[in-house]
Amino acid sequence: MANVSDLLELKGVTVWSVSSFTPVREALKLMADKKIGAVMVIQDGDIAGIFSERDFARKSISIPGFSMNSPVQTLMSSPVYYVLPNQSIEECMTLMTEKRVRHLPVLDENVLIGIISIGDVVKHLMQEKHATIQDLESYILKNVK
Amino acid sequence: MANVEDLLRTKGTQVWSVSPSATIADALKLMAEKNLGALVVVENELIVGVFSERDYARKAIAEDGFSLNTPIRNLMSTPVYYVTSSESVEECMALMTEKRIRHLPVIDCGRLVGLVSIGDIVKQSLSEMEKTIKDLEDYIWVHMI
Repeated sequence: MANVSDLLELKGVTVWSVSSFTPVREALKLMADKKIGAVMVIQDGDIAGIFSERDFARKSISIPGFSMNSPVQTLMSSPVYYVLPNQSIEECMTLMTEKRVRHLPVLDENVLIGIISIGDVVKHLMQEKHATIQDLESYILKNVK
Repeated sequence: MANVEDLLRTKGTQVWSVSPSATIADALKLMAEKNLGALVVVENELIVGVFSERDYARKAIAEDGFSLNTPIRNLMSTPVYYVTSSESVEECMALMTEKRIRHLPVIDCGRLVGLVSIGDIVKQSLSEMEKTIKDLEDYIWVHMI
């Protein structure tokens, strides 16, 4: 069974981030440019939070005085749920489902080394199950008397 | 293989909609209240667009003078990609992947009868694959060992 580091090897380890005081507009522009659904929020070298499309949709109506110039820290989610490189893809899926999040940063000895999305996880699980089905079918075909 | 009708039987046919003149704030409030990622935009009983978290995140930055009072018609996606209830789960998945969208209205004979999300589709596909794997394993146990 594959784990998180196998997945990162395939998708790459680039992580896009903004600072806590970046205006929401700039964070959204970065997300649009890079075609991603969330960015990490990093302040003074530490993870301060994560900002996703979902955060924007839910919190822009609930924080007082919201504007596109509001600092991203007023809309981000914190604390951040994360995974370790040796965790399984199934564990990522469980955590994402349970916490209702679409992105999980990957931490290796407290260093941010990647981010995986629900899309990555689903694609992987589907491929794995598809391969299992093919293996079982070919086993049956080969052993039919 | 399951089709959209089977899916709607499990998840229900309730569809939440807004009018194109509704404000972004109204739409986002409804989405937060019902825990949804998208709404169907309906005018004079015709479907004129879909408004999703993705539309909000991507288009709010492109819209001059954007505010929470901006009408939905300025940010919604159009034309609307949709499916009929006889289409398969695989066809939904293919359309969502190709168009990079997470929601598809279900339209039968011009009538809106449901909304399926990528989450619904993935859940169904994964459980069907798991069922296939179990059936194949049972077959091997019974017939071959």
